[in-house]
Amino acid sequence: MAGRKLLQFERVGFQYDGRDILRDLSFDIAAGELLVLLGPSGCGKTTILNLIAGFLTATSGYAFVDGRVIEAPGPDRGVVFQSAALFDWMNVADNIAFSLRCAGRPKVEQRAVAREMAALVGLAGHEAAFPYQLSGGMRQRVGLARVLAARPKMMLMDEPFAALDVQTREALQEEMLRLRDATGCTIVFVTHSIEEAVFLGDRILLLTEARRGAFREYQVSLPAPRWTPENRLHGDFLALRGQVYRDMRARQAA
Amino acid sequence: MSRAARRRLVLTIGSPLLLLLIWHLVTTQGLVAAIILPPPAGAFAALQDMLVRGYSGVPLITHLGASLARVGVAYVFGAALGTLAGLLRGRSTGFDAVMLVPSEIIRPIPPLGLIPLFILWFGIGELSKILLIGLAVFMVMMVNAQAGTRAAGLDSLRAAQCMGASRWQVFRFVVLPSALPQIMTGLRVAMGTALSILVASELLGGDRGLGFIVLDASSFFRTTYVFAGVILIGLIGLLSDRGLALAARRIVHWEGRR
Ligand SMILES: Nc1ncnc2c1ncn2[C@@H]1O[C@H](COP(=O)(O)OP(=O)(O)OP(=O)(O)O)[C@@H](O)[C@H]1O
Ligand SMILES: [Mg+2]
Repeated sequence: MAGRKLLQFERVGFQYDGRDILRDLSFDIAAGELLVLLGPSGCGKTTILNLIAGFLTATSGYAFVDGRVIEAPGPDRGVVFQSAALFDWMNVADNIAFSLRCAGRPKVEQRAVAREMAALVGLAGHEAAFPYQLSGGMRQRVGLARVLAARPKMMLMDEPFAALDVQTREALQEEMLRLRDATGCTIVFVTHSIEEAVFLGDRILLLTEARRGAFREYQVSLPAPRWTPENRLHGDFLALRGQVYRDMRARQAA
Repeated sequence: MSRAARRRLVLTIGSPLLLLLIWHLVTTQGLVAAIILPPPAGAFAALQDMLVRGYSGVPLITHLGASLARVGVAYVFGAALGTLAGLLRGRSTGFDAVMLVPSEIIRPIPPLGLIPLFILWFGIGELSKILLIGLAVFMVMMVNAQAGTRAAGLDSLRAAQCMGASRWQVFRFVVLPSALPQIMTGLRVAMGTALSILVASELLGGDRGLGFIVLDASSFFRTTYVFAGVILIGLIGLLSDRGLALAARRIVHWEGRR
């Protein structure tokens, strides 16, 4: 399984109003990999994610998923939004089962999957609650669960934990890595936190100048299981964090 | 009951009582002629008289029923079609383009201006009264429903798409629920509009209805009966608005709670 390319960007360019946001950007993602897109605000991380999701279309070059050009959003690529973007008019169970409902799955199955996924993300017993009755961390868990319920090949996550407090954020990072070990799902994770990037990623792309197709790449090797909190104190973790930090500052100074 | 709730209740009941008191004082101190502004007691006496003996030989309940039926039928059809048209305009640029000029030309015409035409086209029976009210309700609902279709957040729309929702499912599960708060507000505005046009619509002939009572009584300077009729229309407005507001709080329970 490892090594098979699930996503390929080939000289992808994207413009807003004739202004280059991305140019000649090429990279790929192997099946099962967790790739982190790291970079300062405005460097184009969300734009890349939107291109993969099919919300935007490349203005030049090609983006492929599974060897096919991305044309539209689809349930093979689930998105977790920073704002959670839950459906306020549906309870937790209906939010989670949304993809099954759209696919016309029977009610019994919808309920079963909702219960299973709620338990998986630590929300057992909250199935009947509405999103406005949940805390920020719980809302993100629902956002995660409803994407998992669709069994996507790939999860796209745009700073999903940025608005949370440190404890909740770290707990969710660890849970996400557990879920990822359990499902083997390929993940593209956007963040501007170096810590988060190093703790989560198998590989990090530091988008130094996406406008010109330039980025730095880091391979992360930390002890398995990756979700152990101890990894946050590991020598390799600290070293890589320092290196990325220096590279980022050097870019900004230049 | 909490302090805040008790305070609210006192103010809600107190303000109309205060208005009644001012009305009573102004009229009983000889500040205005009774034919221009009768005292509240006079209006209530007229109301009582109509309850017992009816108005112009017809029981009050029949007048009330005639008006409620007109407003009810016009409201249900006008609101259903208006909401449908507004949602369609919000979703289809083609349909929006087709509707734009005709509806914006018709919308500002006051209902009174349409009465001669409606008499010519639809006669002086129920049909023209219902159409006059229904048209106004339709316009209010179309504007509100169309505005509502733009309330859905981009992230919610995208989330639905990437969970496999079809165009119809995006509409049914995201666009429509997002539009509901605005649609509920529209329903309340439209009810007010419908009641305010009721009197005008009953200018279109006939001898039944609260509007008929108001118009007939005013042409004979029976001011107390004018007031009694107006108060009844007002009470219908109050009750229906409270009912709709209560329904809205239950239907769009998530509104303002994000
Ligand atoms: N709808 C839009 N119209 C025009 N320009 C846009 C639009 N959305 C984003 N941009 C521009 O595209 C560039 C990249 O935006 P993008 O949202 O991808 O950045 P980002 O890396 O996700 O930033 P952040 O970390 O702040 O979320 C920015 O310079 C921004 O000004
Ligand atoms: Mg962004």
